[in-house]
Amino acid sequence: MTTTNAPPSETVADLNARLDERVARPPAPTDTVQGVRPQLVVEPTAPEQVSQILAWATETGRTVIVRGGGTKIGWGPTPSSIDVLLSMSEMRGVQAHRHGDLTATVLAGTTLSATNAVLAEHRQWLALDPPDGESATIGGIVATNDSGPRRHWHGAPRDLIIGMTLVRADGVIAHSGGIVVKNVAGYDVARLLTGSFGSLGVIVSATFKLAPRADASRTVAVDFPETGRCAPYVAGLLAQAAMPTALELAVPPVRMLVRFESVEVAAAQQARQAVTLAEQHGGSASVLTADDESGAWRAHDAHVFGADREGTILKVVTLPAELSSTLEQISEVAQANQLEYAVTGRAGLGVLFVRLHGSGPGRAAFVTALRAQFRPGQGSVVVRRADPELTSLVGVWGPIGDSLPIMREVKRRFDPTGTLNPGRGPGGL
Amino acid sequence: MIDSEFLARLERIVGADGLVRDESELLTYESDGLMSHRSRPAAAVLPETAEQVQGVVRLCHQHTVPFVARGQGTGLSGGALPHPEGVLIVMTRMNRVLAIDIPNQRITVQPGVMNLEVTRQVAPDGYYYAPDPSSQVICSIGGNLAENSGGAHCLKYGFTVHHVLGVEAVLPDGELIHLGGEALDSPGLDLLGVVVGSEGTLAVITKVILRLCRRPQAVRTLLAAFDSTDAAGNAVSDVIAAGIIPAAIEMMDRTTIRAAEAAVQPGFPDAEAVLIVELDGPQSEVETLFEQIERVCARNQAWGVQVAADDAQRGRIWMGRKAAFAAMGRVSPNYYVQDGVIPRSTLPEVLRRVRALEERSGLTIGNVFHAGDGNLHPLVCYDDAVEGQAELAEQVASEILSYCLDVGGSLTGEHGIGSDKACHMPKMFSDDDLATMQLVRVAFDPDGICNPDKLFPTPRLCGEVPGPYRAHPLETAGLATRM
Repeated sequence: MTTTNAPPSETVADLNARLDERVARPPAPTDTVQGVRPQLVVEPTAPEQVSQILAWATETGRTVIVRGGGTKIGWGPTPSSIDVLLSMSEMRGVQAHRHGDLTATVLAGTTLSATNAVLAEHRQWLALDPPDGESATIGGIVATNDSGPRRHWHGAPRDLIIGMTLVRADGVIAHSGGIVVKNVAGYDVARLLTGSFGSLGVIVSATFKLAPRADASRTVAVDFPETGRCAPYVAGLLAQAAMPTALELAVPPVRMLVRFESVEVAAAQQARQAVTLAEQHGGSASVLTADDESGAWRAHDAHVFGADREGTILKVVTLPAELSSTLEQISEVAQANQLEYAVTGRAGLGVLFVRLHGSGPGRAAFVTALRAQFRPGQGSVVVRRADPELTSLVGVWGPIGDSLPIMREVKRRFDPTGTLNPGRGPGGL
Repeated sequence: MIDSEFLARLERIVGADGLVRDESELLTYESDGLMSHRSRPAAAVLPETAEQVQGVVRLCHQHTVPFVARGQGTGLSGGALPHPEGVLIVMTRMNRVLAIDIPNQRITVQPGVMNLEVTRQVAPDGYYYAPDPSSQVICSIGGNLAENSGGAHCLKYGFTVHHVLGVEAVLPDGELIHLGGEALDSPGLDLLGVVVGSEGTLAVITKVILRLCRRPQAVRTLLAAFDSTDAAGNAVSDVIAAGIIPAAIEMMDRTTIRAAEAAVQPGFPDAEAVLIVELDGPQSEVETLFEQIERVCARNQAWGVQVAADDAQRGRIWMGRKAAFAAMGRVSPNYYVQDGVIPRSTLPEVLRRVRALEERSGLTIGNVFHAGDGNLHPLVCYDDAVEGQAELAEQVASEILSYCLDVGGSLTGEHGIGSDKACHMPKMFSDDDLATMQLVRVAFDPDGICNPDKLFPTPRLCGEVPGPYRAHPLETAGLATRM
C-alpha cells in the first residue's frame, strides 16, 4: 500500500482544497480508535463529498475507517494504522417519513433516538432498541446489524431495511432497494451491507419499514431460583402462542423480562397469563407498568452494557432449545477460569451477551472453550468489546466455515485496494 | 458447447434416468409460468443429491456451459427460462424433508419440497411456514428462495428472506458452501440475505433451513364490499393510520371478483371492489382490533360484510382470492400479469391512471392486489387470436410498471425480474446501481454461466424486444409441432 508521507496539515489543506470546503481537520484526542490516532478526520455533509473522499483515499492508497456515534468503534481488532477517520456525524436528519406507508429514509449520522423522536409524531417508530440508542447512529446500527430485546418480535436491522444509498470504495454512489416495503427488483445490496462493518461501502442513508407504536405495554418480571427454569418457561409461553415483543433473560441472579405490547386489554391479559405460567414453573413474577417497567428495562440493559464500559463483551449465539446447557457451560467455564460474568439476551432466539471480568488468558480460555462447543451454523462466539490482548489471543469472529472464500471474493470486488476498514470486517475481511 | 461427450459425462453423473436429452421430452421444460417466453434447453438433468448437482455444475464450469436451476416451474417472470445452449437442472427429485426440529422451530428441507408441504409437516405440532404465495400448493421452496416469494400474509410476517435461516449451496464453480445455519447470526457477511432473491443467478441451492411460526391463538377474517376501489383504498389507509398491522389486506376489483366467482364460487358480492382483511394473534388483541376494522369498513360505506365463522368459511374466502389468477382464464382467453409495487398511499392515484389506460387501450385490466403493502397484480386481458393484441398487452403492462416507478415504486414485489423485466431494470436503477449489483454477480459467477440473461439488462437481451411466443401457422393447422 502506498501511503503518502506528507505531514497531516498538508494533507488536510490538500483535501479541503479538493472538496472546496472545510471538511477535513487534524484529529482530536477523542478521535483515536482503540488507541490508534488517525492521520486526519473528515466530516462530510453530502454524499458527493463522501464520494470524493473515498475516491481520493482509494487513488492515493489510504485506509478509511467510518465512524457514526462512535459507540461501536472499539469493536473488532485494533487497526495497525488509520489514514482517514470518516465521521458521518454531520449527515443527520430524517429525510422522509412516509407515515401513510409506514416507511422512513434516514441519513446515516442520525442517532436512533433522534430518528424515533421524529417518527413519534405519527405514533410510529423504527422498531430497534440496541444499546446506546441515544448516541448510536443509524449508519452504525445498520453496519453492525445491532439490535436489542425487541428483536424477538420486530427483527434486526437486516429484517427492517428496504433501501440504501451507499458510496463504494471507488467513490461511486449507488442505490439499492427503494421506498416500498415489498420489492424484489435486483440484488439486495442493502441487506449485504447490513452487518458488513463498513468493509464494503459507506452507508449514506437507509430506508426502513416502520412499526406503529403500541397502545399499551406490560412487562412481566420473573425471578427463577436457577437458570434451568428459563428454557421450559420460554417453551411454555410458545405453547400458549403468547406473542411477547421481548423475551429476555439476565443472570446472575436469574431474572426474565417478558414484554407485551398491544391494545390495553391484550397486553394486560397476556401479562397475567405469563405470570400464572411463571408461577407454575417455580418463579415469582410480577407485572410492571409505567416507571417501574422502564426502570426494569434500564437495569436490564445495564446488566451487561453498563455505563462503566468495563469488561469484555461477547456475543454468544446458541440454538433456542440449547439455552439451558449453554447457560450452564457459561457458568462452568467462567468458574473454571476465575472470571466474573453477567449474561443478558434473547431467550427465545438464543442470542446472548456475556460480560466477563478477569485475566486476559482466563477470558481467552473462556472464548476458546465455548467456541469448541459449536459447529459452524450451530452457534458462535464473537468478541464485541475487547482489549488488544484478548483479540490477539482468540481473534474476534471465530470460525466462519466454508463460505469464507466467497466472502473474501465479495470484499475484493467491492474494495479491491482494501481501503475500507481493512481487517476489521466480519471474518477479518 | 454440449456435444455427445458432454452428454455422456452428464449421464455418468446423474444416471440415464436422470438425464433428459430427447428433444420432445425437453419441450416440457421450455417455459416456466411465463409461457410467452420459451426456450428449449440443450439438456436437462434431474439430480437426486447435492453431489450430483456439484458434479453437473463442475462439468458446466469446466466447459463454460450455462446452466439454469428450475423447481416446479411456476415462476411468473421467466426466471427459470432455459438457456438454449445450456443445461437445465431440474430440482424436483430433491424433495425430501430432512429434519423437523420443533423445539428450535426449524425445519430442514431439500429445495424440491412444496411450500404447503412444509406447513403440512408441522401442522400437527401447532406450527406453520409463513410465506404463502398463491401457488403454494404447487411451488417449491427452492423457487421461493430464488424469488424471495411473499404471499398474502407477508404484510405482517415478512418474505421468504425473513424465514430462511440457512442454506447449503453449490457455487457456479461447483464448490459446496453453507450460509447461515440452524442458529442465528452466523459470523460473516450476510451472503444469505443476497442469495435469497437472486433469482438463481448466484448459486444452486441444495438444502434449506426454514424458520417455523407458532399458529396464533386466534384468526379472524372479514370480507367487505365497496362501491369503488377508492373507497376500499381509503379503508386500507384508515386501518394503517389506526396503527393496525393485519395479517393480510387483499383487494380485488370487479373483473377479478367475477372471474373468481366463475371459477370457484367463493360467494363474493358483485361489487366494484372487495377487501379481505385478516387479523391474527392473541385472542383478546384480535377481538379488539377486529371491532376497529369493522368500524373502519362501516365508515367507508362497506356493505355485504361477511365474517368467516369457521375455518371452512375462511378457507372459502381465501380460495376465491388465491384462485384469482387462474380464474382469469374464465373471462379472457389470455392474460398478462405484472406485479409492480407502489407506496400504498398512492393507490387511488395509480388506479385512476390504470383505469384511463384500460379505456384508452381497449383491453380489460383486472386488479387483484396485496393492498397492505401496495403490491399490485394487474391482469391485462387479451386474445392471442387477435392480431397485435399480445404485443398491445405487453405494452399496456409495461406502461403500468412505469406508473409504479413514477410514484417511487418497484418493478416487482414477488415475481422477480427474470427474463421478463430485465430490460426494464434501467428505468428503476442507474448504471451505477446495476454495476454495484454486478460486483456481487462477478464475485459468485465470474464466467456468467449461472442462469445468464436474467435480472440484468444486456444488449443481446434488450437490443431487440423479445416478442411473445407465437404459434407458427403450420402448428396451428396441426401440420407441425415444435421440437
